[in-house]
Amino acid sequence: MTTAIQQLPPAKPSFAARLQKSLFNSPLDCVISVVCAALLFYLLYQIIDWAFIASIWRAEDVALCKAADGACWSVIDARHRIILFGLFPFEEHWRSTLACIVMVATIVASCFTWFWSATRLGLLWLCGFGVFYILMRGGMFGLTGITPERWGGLALTIFIFASVSLIGMPLSIVLALGRRSKLPVVARLTGLFIDFFRSLPLLTILFAAAVITPFVLPGWLQGDKLYRVIVGFAIFFACYQAENIRAGLQAIPPGQDEAGLTLGLNYWQRVTRIQLPQAFRNSLPSIVNQFVITFKETSIVTIVGFFEILASGHAAYGTGEWTPHYVEVYVFIGLIYFAFVFSLSRYGAYLENRMRVGHG
Amino acid sequence: MVENPSVTAITMQGVNKWFDDFHVLKDIDLQVAMGEKIVICGPSGSGKSTLIRCICKLEDHQRGLINVLGIELNDDIANVDEIRREVGMVFQQFNLFPHMTVLENCTLALTLVRKKNREEAEAIAMGFLEKVHIPEQAAKYPGELSGGQQQRVAIARSLCMNPEIMLFDEPTSALDPEMISEVLDVMVSLAEEGMTMICVTHEMGFARRVADRVIFMDQGEIVEQNDPLSFFENPANERTQLFLSQILQH
Ligand SMILES: Nc1ncnc2c1ncn2[C@@H]1O[C@H](COP(=O)(O)OP(=O)(O)OP(=O)(O)O)[C@@H](O)[C@H]1O
Ligand SMILES: [Mg+2]
Repeated sequence: MTTAIQQLPPAKPSFAARLQKSLFNSPLDCVISVVCAALLFYLLYQIIDWAFIASIWRAEDVALCKAADGACWSVIDARHRIILFGLFPFEEHWRSTLACIVMVATIVASCFTWFWSATRLGLLWLCGFGVFYILMRGGMFGLTGITPERWGGLALTIFIFASVSLIGMPLSIVLALGRRSKLPVVARLTGLFIDFFRSLPLLTILFAAAVITPFVLPGWLQGDKLYRVIVGFAIFFACYQAENIRAGLQAIPPGQDEAGLTLGLNYWQRVTRIQLPQAFRNSLPSIVNQFVITFKETSIVTIVGFFEILASGHAAYGTGEWTPHYVEVYVFIGLIYFAFVFSLSRYGAYLENRMRVGHG
Repeated sequence: MVENPSVTAITMQGVNKWFDDFHVLKDIDLQVAMGEKIVICGPSGSGKSTLIRCICKLEDHQRGLINVLGIELNDDIANVDEIRREVGMVFQQFNLFPHMTVLENCTLALTLVRKKNREEAEAIAMGFLEKVHIPEQAAKYPGELSGGQQQRVAIARSLCMNPEIMLFDEPTSALDPEMISEVLDVMVSLAEEGMTMICVTHEMGFARRVADRVIFMDQGEIVEQNDPLSFFENPANERTQLFLSQILQH
């Protein structure tokens, strides 16, 4: 016990050693591993062959598609504008492109912690949203006016997602706090509101917003059909998100609020500085999840007559020569969805990691 | 914080409290002078926590009068706010804000309630962190500290608000034995500076050393109160004797 040799941690096993241990530990393991690997390589080869090697790329070569074994990307080359922009006037596509870039930049920027204060976030979204709207809607600064019925494709998908989040997020916070209110009337009413909208299918809410509200609401309150649908969608989103946030609030020990009370903090100070930051941390995975679900669910608005990206994709292969190539169109759209959703969930994972530091 | 026995810090008169049908506090009468240090002890469930939580209105009392620094504690929000600003509280579970650094924990109320700017607030906070001997931990998060360090941060956080009265609810019961003294040392030096203190604790060494008065509670009543010497040497009530024999056994 007197020797002062420094104890080193045991060396980590090499990659090969770990591979050997986990995949080739017994004869049966070997067989299973080899079979699986072979299957995997075969599948991968098929996909690469279809997508890259045996595929036709340019629109002019569409005649070759019939004979080719691979993907016919000509359909994307020829029709991508319909997929991305829907019925938006052809000469104005640059506006839609720019608007999408602005909105994506706004979303990305709000992921940086530097923007995480009510004023900065508010200003950022006001600017981002304003620029997006002016570019899309036009009718000022010499841009020709384009009504929302003609918006479509990716820009419409992003617009719906962004505005549902923008309206839904603050609303969800209000609902979550309301449901936990000490005033029984407030708590009951928000509880009823949340449970009512959660018990309805999204489709019903969107139909009601698009078709029924015009009979109920006075003219000046109706707005465009797109806005009504967005408000309906946002309420639906907020009710689910409110429950996620409430779960996060519920998990905070009561001592936190008491410490705030004894320090003399008022209700809003305790809510904004102590409760909400911890609630967001606690339920970050489900909050991000709700955003992911919402992004994918935007496609449901086709049913009430909007040309979001999935519907415009449908239109893109709907005419004559392109009908056989719907798979390529859906793969293309799938990749766009994947890019958005995957970055959303990676960002969520990054946030979780970052915030774990604070909890120690 | 000058000792001035003529001013009462806290007056409780006939205070009663119920949790539903359960009578937790029964006719509590208590006067605490400025600068006085009081230790409250008693068996579990006797209402010690409830009593001191009533003083900063973390619990409502249903009957009786509570007056803190000449301000009546009632449903008037302005009064409650004013009392809370003058009364600091330290909890058994520390209740530090886990998402803020130690320094941010201390400066939060200074900036929001006392309206100090950031430099002033940080200077004050660092002063109190030095006083509890952990200025070097200022940039860490509570989760990275030991229990004793966390409790000292909690004390510093309360002191930042420059309270007239400090309430402690079993500040050392959640700590490992080797960390208890580092917290008690801080409390002793606070007492020596003349802070008005009410401590719920079973640290009898601490009670003997700093308390002006020891109060024994049982079943929601103040059973006995006396100066520490008489309290420990000649407890009058047999419930007190039983309790003392139990906790002083080991
Ligand atoms: N929020 C509450 N609702 C109902 N009963 C409560 C509540 N808080 C405390 N009690 C009850 O009131 C009694 C007194 O509680 P209190 O916490 O004041 O005791 P204590 O003397 O501090 O005990 P301990 O030494 O265990 O901390 C206990 O019997 C407890 O069960
Ligand atoms: Mg207690």
